[in-house]
Amino acid sequence: MVALIKRMLFVAAFLAAATALGQGDRALEPQIKAAFLYKFGGFIEWPAAAFARADTSFSIGVLGADGVAAELERVVTGRTVQGRAITVQRLKRGDPVTGLHLLFVGQPEAGRLPEILSAAKGLPLLVVTETEDALTRGSMINFITVDDKVRFDVALPQAERGQLRISARLLAVARKVITG
Amino acid sequence: MGAAGGCDSEGGRRLSTIAKTRKCLLTRLAAASLALADALSPALAQQPKPDLADLSLEELANLQITSVSRRAERLSDAAASIFAITGDDIRRSGATSLPEALRLAPNLQVARVDARQYAITARGFNSTTANKLLVLIDGRTVYTPLFSGVFWDAQDVLLEDVERIEVISGPGATLWGANAVNGVINVISRPASDTKGLLAFAGSGNRESGIGVRYGMDIPGGALRIYGKGFDRDNTVRANGADVSDGWQNAQGGFRADWGTATNGFTLQSDAYRGTIDQVAPGDVRISGGNLLARWSRQLASGGHLQFQAYYDQTEREIPGTFIERLDTFDLEFQHSFQAGSGHRLTWGGGHRSARDRVTNSAGLAFLPPNITQHWSNLFIQDDIELSEQVRFTAGIKAASNPYTGWELLPSARLAWKPDPSRTVWTALSRAVRAPARLDRDLFLPGQPPFLLAGGPDFRSEIADVLELGYRAQPSPRFSYSLTAFHAAYEHLRSLEPVGGGGFVIGNKMKATTNGLEAWGNYQAATNWRLSAGAVFLDDSRKFEAGSGDTNLANAGNDPKRQFTLRSSLDLPGQQEFDVLARYVGSLPNPPVPSYLAVDARYAWRPLKELEVSVTAQNLFDKRHPEFGAAATRSEIERGVFLKVKWSH
Repeated sequence: MVALIKRMLFVAAFLAAATALGQGDRALEPQIKAAFLYKFGGFIEWPAAAFARADTSFSIGVLGADGVAAELERVVTGRTVQGRAITVQRLKRGDPVTGLHLLFVGQPEAGRLPEILSAAKGLPLLVVTETEDALTRGSMINFITVDDKVRFDVALPQAERGQLRISARLLAVARKVITG
Repeated sequence: MGAAGGCDSEGGRRLSTIAKTRKCLLTRLAAASLALADALSPALAQQPKPDLADLSLEELANLQITSVSRRAERLSDAAASIFAITGDDIRRSGATSLPEALRLAPNLQVARVDARQYAITARGFNSTTANKLLVLIDGRTVYTPLFSGVFWDAQDVLLEDVERIEVISGPGATLWGANAVNGVINVISRPASDTKGLLAFAGSGNRESGIGVRYGMDIPGGALRIYGKGFDRDNTVRANGADVSDGWQNAQGGFRADWGTATNGFTLQSDAYRGTIDQVAPGDVRISGGNLLARWSRQLASGGHLQFQAYYDQTEREIPGTFIERLDTFDLEFQHSFQAGSGHRLTWGGGHRSARDRVTNSAGLAFLPPNITQHWSNLFIQDDIELSEQVRFTAGIKAASNPYTGWELLPSARLAWKPDPSRTVWTALSRAVRAPARLDRDLFLPGQPPFLLAGGPDFRSEIADVLELGYRAQPSPRFSYSLTAFHAAYEHLRSLEPVGGGGFVIGNKMKATTNGLEAWGNYQAATNWRLSAGAVFLDDSRKFEAGSGDTNLANAGNDPKRQFTLRSSLDLPGQQEFDVLARYVGSLPNPPVPSYLAVDARYAWRPLKELEVSVTAQNLFDKRHPEFGAAATRSEIERGVFLKVKWSH
């Protein structure tokens, strides 16, 4: 047993050294998703009514994806979407979605999609997910990992119901576009 | 079938000298890698960090997440010691059989016994009849009710079509079943839609040669692939170089058809195989069989998921002079998972298996009764509770029945804390049960009375209570690792109890505790160079209960105290790959097997997109070495070189 503890200490020391080596880097996937979420804002047109005033900020809500939220907070500092400042809100389940322009629902909260979508019905809210089959359940853009790359599929009918207009440039990058 | 037993300890002193030399070598290797890490770290720290938000949509969509990250992502939520061997890992290892591919999992003990037999387990108790590991191939349990283990010579797949192999060390009984005491191996093949087109390969070397072909195509509403393969494996040798008559020829074919997606579709698949293994007298061993599996899964509108699966498996094994067995298995199971209120994900299900076993006994041994139909049933429920955004608690229980002891309960509780997306701390407490097999109850030696050894009419289930503590982290996109410490207490392990007149009856009077540590990590040293390392330390102590007359603790299995793996995967310019796998396995105590360091290397070149030429050398620096068994009767594994040409389009 003593020998076992010694070995554990040895392994722990090795890992500590190796961890120190990688410090400062962050997981790449949440970074890519956060960058996409920010970029989406530039390729989608919201109805004028979605912004109460000329200086109303572009509001992104994140539910169940703290890693993406943290990256997003870092990314939006000093950046704008269509000339508007950007705010990032980390949502807890049950928080209202009114006033948001973009909502990202992480995998752990995917089961709550029906509830979230019924709350968002009729609102000009872009709903983005990262769960298989989410588009058939009402999401508008869904991230999917293909060949080690983060890609996304778009469901146009849902976006149209929210009065959102998605640019052809964004659709060209999508892996798959569902047209209804 | 052979046992792990044997009591001589001859040559122990010589072994320890070898072990010491190896230990020095490993310490030096570790010191060298730390020095290398130190030297690299300033260079890594200075690398500019691109701001991804400045990239175009197209550039973002083409960014590669490292495979390290993908693996960590998929497995990062599991509160278990789980390692995934990817299809690419298998290809790059040059493995030609399922057991050889399993050597890639640091949390498994894999020992080759001879040309066809392997001893494979996790967390100890290894033998050719190891019985604490559950193995599934595409959802089909490949276990024999003869000894609750796996006949590795009857289980093969087209490795080129394997998507991944998930290896869970530790109890998985609540979800998987009664055999999952020390681990679960889950072989998952690619859906037919991922294997369209032609793939053909042929390979030859000094130890084996093989060919294979697969063709995949679209069919109305889905996709279909068919395959065929065959191999001829050379015999092994004794320590003195004398041939062992165990050469092996095998042919296998099958198909898989998929309609819809994995979560919303229907799958039908089948395999059939036939093999012959040389045996000096009284004749060759013959193995044959086949299976047919259907799986239907449905994503429900409410967000729930439903799955039904049924399969039929038939296998026949004729070992002249020992026994003939024909086993027909029917298995039916279903599973339903759904969101139950806020923060609860419920999974429940059940299954039933019937097996008709027909044995032709020999003068040497008998399974009595020779013909028997047995039934197993199970019901399970598991609740995945999200206590907070960072903490998940999973509690589950399975009730499983077996033909000998009726219903047994297998509970488990798991807690995972994820303080941030790149780290998980988890702990689990489980009880697992190894239900009696025919070997425990129905085996008699010799084939006629008076018996020297008799199955135990009162043999009960072996029980393991296991505590695990794990930590998994991905401190950078380039580096991830996993650490698991475990403590397991086993009760009612199999023992041989003397009865009057020099005979023995199988009993349950051995106890054991094991303590161990499993560690592995992946480091993407450069975009074209990945390093992986693994280590397992295992301490076990066994004793007989009061009242036992057994004296041979070694019968429970033969395990190394430590094993290490180091793997390097390098992509070279011009579509070339160079891979090295070094495995150190500590000495086995009883019967003694010396420790060994085996180095395998593979070089591959793709002159065309469709063509791959590879050379794999196994056991590069060692003419031959034994991996399992007693010195007088064991086979040794020779150096092997294998040239393979593969065409795919």
